Amino acid sequence: MDSLQAEVRALEAEIAALRRACEEPRTPEEDASRALKSLQEIQQSDSGAWASSKDLKGHLGHLESELLFLSTLTGINIRSYSMRTEDLTSTEKTEQSIKKVLQKHRLSGNCHMVTFQLEFQILEIQSKERLSSVITDLNIIMEPTEYSELSDFVSRAEDRRDLLMFFQSLHFFVEWCEYRQRTFEHFKEKYPEAVRLPEGAVSSCMAVRSPREPGFELIIVWRIQIDDGGKVLPKLDLLTKAPRRALQLDETRVLETAPRGFRALLGVLGIEAALESLVKSLGVGEDH
Amino acid sequence: MEWANDKSKGGVLAHLERLETQTNRSRKNLDPQTETAESALEAKIHKLRCLRDKLRAEVKERQARVKASTASVEPDQTLEVNEQEAVEGKQENMKAILQAYRFTGLSGKLTSRGVCVCISTAFEGNLLGSYFVDLVIQKPLRIHHHSIPVFIPLEEISAKYLQTNIQHFLFCLCEHLNAYAGRKYQADQLQSDFAGFLAGPLRRNSLCNLLSFTYKVEPHGQSFPFCARLLYKDLTTTLPTDVTITYQGTDALSTSWEEQRVCHENLFLTKPLHQVFTSFTRKGEKLDMSLVS
Repeated sequence: MDSLQAEVRALEAEIAALRRACEEPRTPEEDASRALKSLQEIQQSDSGAWASSKDLKGHLGHLESELLFLSTLTGINIRSYSMRTEDLTSTEKTEQSIKKVLQKHRLSGNCHMVTFQLEFQILEIQSKERLSSVITDLNIIMEPTEYSELSDFVSRAEDRRDLLMFFQSLHFFVEWCEYRQRTFEHFKEKYPEAVRLPEGAVSSCMAVRSPREPGFELIIVWRIQIDDGGKVLPKLDLLTKAPRRALQLDETRVLETAPRGFRALLGVLGIEAALESLVKSLGVGEDH
Repeated sequence: MEWANDKSKGGVLAHLERLETQTNRSRKNLDPQTETAESALEAKIHKLRCLRDKLRAEVKERQARVKASTASVEPDQTLEVNEQEAVEGKQENMKAILQAYRFTGLSGKLTSRGVCVCISTAFEGNLLGSYFVDLVIQKPLRIHHHSIPVFIPLEEISAKYLQTNIQHFLFCLCEHLNAYAGRKYQADQLQSDFAGFLAGPLRRNSLCNLLSFTYKVEPHGQSFPFCARLLYKDLTTTLPTDVTITYQGTDALSTSWEEQRVCHENLFLTKPLHQVFTSFTRKGEKLDMSLVS
């Protein structure tokens, strides 16, 4: 009798446990997925209009379009960026109304083939009347390039802590460099026998040899300068190379005045046309 | 030894049969009340066993269902969540990079109509104001809204470049705004930080490309003042193109004052205003000649 009652109690306990198991709304696995679901809901409500993952991807596409537009517009491609802030607000009563925040920025990117990495600090001072933001420190690390003109400019930008000037001048500088390279390559292709690029197309020199007078050579030195104000300007000079005998016979001093004449020609015709006329003046490309 | 004997008399099954017979015999000897209670319990046990087996089967089935769902659905869900996290991470990174473009001087947002470009200005490390131009991208390109000050030649720049080269248009505008911001910053600095040097009000036009003021080399000093007139003919520069300095002292014709006047002219032509006055602060009347490049 006792054994039967014990069995009944055991069965009832087991049934109660089984019932609980059946009625339980979720298993631990379901619990985890439910938590993830609620987390998603929170994130979705945070991201507003871009709720579903499909919309998130749409938003990402929109941001990518914006990035593409800005990198095309500025000529600057920012690859990575991070910022940390540090509160420097004084605890002294006299300075409590003045809020000071130091921002530490790191940024890396490239402008065409010129790669750079920047580290700079911005001190923000907020008083009752106004907010001022000053770059207190600027370090520019550039990968070595063929452009020797850049090193002075970078030092100047660092000294002045002029970030905007750095970016804008760099953009125009690189554009001019690419234009110079294209121009040199164009003349090399057009007049392969006469034109040579002693240091390659990326350099600042182009030499033109006369097919009729072997000793004659004109050397165009095309530098790209960045002035104190950050303005990028091309500077073209002409150097002449001639046999000593020719120099002795040059009574009208044509060779001596050629550089000045070339500068005048540049002012009238522009770079490409001036170079073209210079090449032609040596009898290059003429049919005999 | 009885156990061994029993075993020898027919084995285990025979022994079990005998035990069953004994139990039946003893049951028959029980009183009827106990018998009914026991049979009721047995019936209950039978019922409970059936219910238990049913519930066990149900629980087993449920576990199998959950297992199947976690095997098929959950990895997808986890994958989806991980993918979403990755997308969100990428999104945050992109937003940060878009923010960083303000340091290049040009940033902006794509709009339903076209693009809204923000032009940031700065002068020698001082981040100054920002201006926006909301462009409608259609033929012909047009400006929908803007916050460019009226004295900046926006119409002239638009007429020149807007339809042919949007990049050139924005860079040109950027150049004008930065130069204006730089000139204004210098004038503001002179008024706020070097007021002690000024012997009268600083007069300037809205574009800050014409400044005139009277100053002394010694702050609050008794020396005769110099009159300065700074003209910025090129609206894209922060340094004046024309500087006129006149000396108002009685010994105006003396060589030393003439030298100083010429030196001041050179300083104003080559250095920002506040830097010129900083040199006066450092050296008093003796000018920092190293500043003259």
